[in-house]
Amino acid sequence: MGAGFRVGIDIGGTFTDIALVDATGRLEIRKIASTPDDYSRGIAEGLAALVGELGIDPASITGIVHATTVATNTILEMKGARTGLVTTAGFKDVLEMRRLRVPVLYDLAYDKPPPLVPRQFRLEVRERLGPDGNVRVPLDESDVAAAAEVFRRAGIEAVAISFLHAYANADHEIRAEAMLREALGASVYICRGSDILPEIREYERTSTAVVNAYVGPVIRRYAEALEARLAHIGITAPIEMMHSGGGIMRLGRAVTRAAALVESGPAAGVIACARLGQGASGTANIISFDMGGTTAKAALVENGEAARTDEYEVGAGINLSSKLVKGGGYPIKMPFIDVSEIGAGGGSIVALDGQGRVTVGPQSAGAFPGPVAYGRGGIHATLTDVFVTLGYINPETLAGGSIAVDAEGARRALFEQIAGPLGQDVTTTARGVLQLAVSTMTRAVKAVSTYRGRDPRDFTLVAFGGNGPVVAADIAAALGIRRILVPPAAGVFSGLGLLRSDAEQDFVQPVLRDAGSLSADTFAALGEDIKARGRAAMEAEGHDLVSANFRLSADLRYFGQAYELNVPALTEGGVAPLIEAFHAEHARTYGHRSDSDPVQLVNLRLSIRVPAASEINGFAASPAMLRKDRRVDFPGGTLLSPVIGRDDLSSDWRAGPLIIEDYDATCVVPPGTDARLMADGTIEMLVRGQ
Amino acid sequence: MSMQPDRRIDPITLEVIRNGLASIADEMALIIMRSAYSPVVRDIMDYSTGLCDADGQVIAQGLTLPIQLCSFPRVMRFIRERFGEGLRPGDVLITNDPYGSGGQHLPDIYVMKPIFHGGELAGFAATVAHHTDLGGIVPGSVAIYATEIQQEGLRIPLMKLYEEGRPNQSLLDLIAANSRQPVEVLGDLRAQMAACATAERGLVALLERYGRIDLRRYIEALHDHAEAMMRQTIRELPDGVYVGEDFLDGLGEAPEPIRIRATVTVSGDTIDIDFAGTSGQVAASINCPISLPESAAFTAIRCLARVDIPNCEGYFRPITVRAPEGCLLNPIYPAACGARGVVGYRVFDAIMQALAAAVPERAMGGTEGGPYLLAAGGQWQGRSFVLNEMLVGSWGARADRDGLEGVSNPAANLSNQPVEMIEAEMPVEVTAYGLVPDSGGPGTFRGGLGFVREFRFLKDMGFTLRGDRRTHPPYGLEGGGKGGPSAHHLVRRNGETESLPTMPMRGFSAREGDRFRLVGAGGGGFGPAFAREPARVLDDVVSGKVTIEGARRDYGVVIDAATGTVDAIATRTLRENRQ
Repeated sequence: MGAGFRVGIDIGGTFTDIALVDATGRLEIRKIASTPDDYSRGIAEGLAALVGELGIDPASITGIVHATTVATNTILEMKGARTGLVTTAGFKDVLEMRRLRVPVLYDLAYDKPPPLVPRQFRLEVRERLGPDGNVRVPLDESDVAAAAEVFRRAGIEAVAISFLHAYANADHEIRAEAMLREALGASVYICRGSDILPEIREYERTSTAVVNAYVGPVIRRYAEALEARLAHIGITAPIEMMHSGGGIMRLGRAVTRAAALVESGPAAGVIACARLGQGASGTANIISFDMGGTTAKAALVENGEAARTDEYEVGAGINLSSKLVKGGGYPIKMPFIDVSEIGAGGGSIVALDGQGRVTVGPQSAGAFPGPVAYGRGGIHATLTDVFVTLGYINPETLAGGSIAVDAEGARRALFEQIAGPLGQDVTTTARGVLQLAVSTMTRAVKAVSTYRGRDPRDFTLVAFGGNGPVVAADIAAALGIRRILVPPAAGVFSGLGLLRSDAEQDFVQPVLRDAGSLSADTFAALGEDIKARGRAAMEAEGHDLVSANFRLSADLRYFGQAYELNVPALTEGGVAPLIEAFHAEHARTYGHRSDSDPVQLVNLRLSIRVPAASEINGFAASPAMLRKDRRVDFPGGTLLSPVIGRDDLSSDWRAGPLIIEDYDATCVVPPGTDARLMADGTIEMLVRGQ
Repeated sequence: MSMQPDRRIDPITLEVIRNGLASIADEMALIIMRSAYSPVVRDIMDYSTGLCDADGQVIAQGLTLPIQLCSFPRVMRFIRERFGEGLRPGDVLITNDPYGSGGQHLPDIYVMKPIFHGGELAGFAATVAHHTDLGGIVPGSVAIYATEIQQEGLRIPLMKLYEEGRPNQSLLDLIAANSRQPVEVLGDLRAQMAACATAERGLVALLERYGRIDLRRYIEALHDHAEAMMRQTIRELPDGVYVGEDFLDGLGEAPEPIRIRATVTVSGDTIDIDFAGTSGQVAASINCPISLPESAAFTAIRCLARVDIPNCEGYFRPITVRAPEGCLLNPIYPAACGARGVVGYRVFDAIMQALAAAVPERAMGGTEGGPYLLAAGGQWQGRSFVLNEMLVGSWGARADRDGLEGVSNPAANLSNQPVEMIEAEMPVEVTAYGLVPDSGGPGTFRGGLGFVREFRFLKDMGFTLRGDRRTHPPYGLEGGGKGGPSAHHLVRRNGETESLPTMPMRGFSAREGDRFRLVGAGGGGFGPAFAREPARVLDDVVSGKVTIEGARRDYGVVIDAATGTVDAIATRTLRENRQ
């Protein structure tokens, strides 16, 4: 992409990863401490140091791609804008009543998440539309004016507008927005349901608009601060943001669609996997497995495309991707890469309850105090302490010697807290806890594969994150997966994913018609309409669409069902192939189909992708590390295992046991698994007998 | 600390297997929700999924409805009795019959699949779903005024729906011919079968991993573990005989209260629940086959546990449940039972009140009382439609916190139908859906607010109702006040308003433009209302959950409307004078 440099920045709760690629595709990677009081400060300081060190002219940086946890943290910490909501008369409590369901059974002490807009700032206006968009009661503008006055007096910073059936006719919402804008001024953030999610189901649409309004002003302030700080150090390249759907968007659009940022970091990792599959490593069907300090995440890449979902509950704690209308968080209905997440990471605490049950996570020791092994005051045994005890990770130092490891402390904590009370020896317990963690993480993988009717054995596992490659072989063995890839820079792979992403935006056109009754011409016209709309929207943002990829798909269901399946669509050739594709996908996903039942075309969807990804074909040398062979307690027995660097592998297969230590991650190759190095620096592993 | 008695059981492997089983039951639930056809199943989520071992004992439950989940054991007992060794791979069993098959009422169809591995029975997939319509005298098949089960729709005694993989097409045709919504019923049945097939794959995978013998031993250990935890929970309750009573408002225009009486005997590590003293069965469809009271009893006691007991049948073992034959909770054939659900919730309430005397800190004030039913149907735009509303919404207050509003009853885990979906598919407009101010039972901790849902009929149609909790509103605990009462109002187009009975023994005709306003009861309060912190009362006034008048009347808190603050002096005076 031109002669300059591009930079990927992935902010996590603990570390910020910076990946910088030059015009030749050579990559530099840095991990710096995040600055949660003002994340933009850490980014600016880290970037200034990096360009200084490499002697780069800041003006030669031509693009910044960014993923951030700011939106998610805003919700988790309830630190969003002072938000108001305007609804149709009679429905201000839709936001609070939600879909009623609770995420746990038999728990009388359960409390719901508090609504993001308090009841006194949920105001009703008289207006009413029918499901076809017909006006049944015209908008009462005096009610809108009264609402604006309440908001003005209360110092409301953001307003969501959500009227019934506004997906079918946005006129009332548009008029209300104009009036609120005039009354409240340019600084108030306004989000219309009909704009952010023009789809049926009032609660989900209202919730999405409210989440967007709640985080919008925070993202706007953040964007302004980031731009200013980067400009201050001479970087004026356009900033693009990763959205939860796995594409990148201009900063300005990110501000108006702030809710789309909540899963930007995890999405980046999955995109990196998808691109890996499209490259030399040669596989289009991948399960991505990302394990860091607090959680493990899995996603599915099929035919080179990351599987999507359009439902997500932010703040629900663990998201098993199960979509069971759980009610524990704040629903956002937008295109998301379907990432399932479970609270098992390196910092997850291993505990024994009063009934003799062993649990791993979801409580985490975090980065501070962290695992006992890190000697920073952690007292609870964690999964990292289990890894150290087993010899899976280095019992002396980590990160090239920058972190000293207290293996004795880790072992002692595990004995005192778990093994002793269970009457077991430490090694047996450590092995058992590893198996338990693997079974928990396996659930995350199943949630994106078997739950969708996909057999994990048909997929290659791509493991990354600081701990992903440590347990990848065990996860693969548990699921019958044969092939595992561990990409270079696995520990900062999400940052890499940012540089490998394209500009991508999604558009939706509600149709809600009997698919069988659509003529070929009507269907083609619907496709042309949405393409024209998408094209206009992206061109208005300055995208050059010459090399753009247009992907049309359709949401279909049997008439009467509430949930759709998304299948690729072609506008030519009529609607019959689409209907057959739906029957087939239904059979595949749910195990049954009904050719005699009418099929409803719910939405047409268009995804426009404009190539922006950088080529990456080399890595700056990593610091030298001291490695020595060690005893490792594998499930089948304790073995002396060679410890080598990635560069010590060749294209010839080498049998495990083997430990491959990189600067940013450790890869465990247990007995029964073979490993070799691929041309692009990826480690390939094969589990024998699977 | 109690440890595993069986030394061959590794507690970590036990946890791994428990995870595996739970994940199968959840996957089943997901498949039904996403592929079902009817609004009752796909939106309201009135269905349940579970997994049973080869003996038919429940070993895992999906995130679905407790009050259904705890009914699988009885159906499984009938399956074992009826078929014994006669089950074959590829069989699928079906029933909905409360008499002789373990069912609860006709709309709830159980679809169960035996799972084989290596030629031997390894377990059962269990599903139950509330079907939109199985015939009978009203759309939705729940006519409260039915007097015999034959009036309520199609009875399906326990039989094979599939035999060694071959569908019983005659039975499927018979079901379709008896339903007003055959496409929805068949679609939902397919979804149930798909869930069973998923369970089969999942359980077989577990067996291949752990082997049949090992898995069996671990499952037995899981039951034992759950049993031990339940016994421990019961030991924490003081021994004694606790009696709880609650009432249904009664039937028709001149209702007589119907008594539910639970005598709960806590003795060491066992609990016996005897429903002697409960009213007799009635000539209406609220008779409640024993399967539901049992299920409600297990649910209530499970809710009092403060630990995460595995959701397997082992925890039922220390609990016995009895009801005299011919009483409302153990009716004699052919008593009608379509609208029996409300009674199950009142059983939960009676037991909760009994045990609140023993452990008030674990109990909860009365809930909205269970789902309020509104059913309507007819023809529209060339298709038949059935509107089935099952509305829930409030919890009572707890010992240390307010009750929730906008939430499912704790014995169910139902959802609500999106207003927009109803309006897109049926000639009904929902004109309001929200919380009712001042309806939460006053208390140191306030009960959750009741809800209102108002409908406008866009064409002439008939409808039926089943409510409760109007003359016997949700109870408070430890001096807390009752929740606000429920209401049924039919508002004619000309403005005339008619209050309809809670359990009307007839159907109604609505004309185009008429409105029906349904108010659900609020949750009961906990502790004396005058002890509620004035600041909390003020918060409720600011949010509009309590009115200024309500604050004065119910809480003795005087709010100055002009400044929006508590008048501390007036409040103290008022509270002292009314103590």
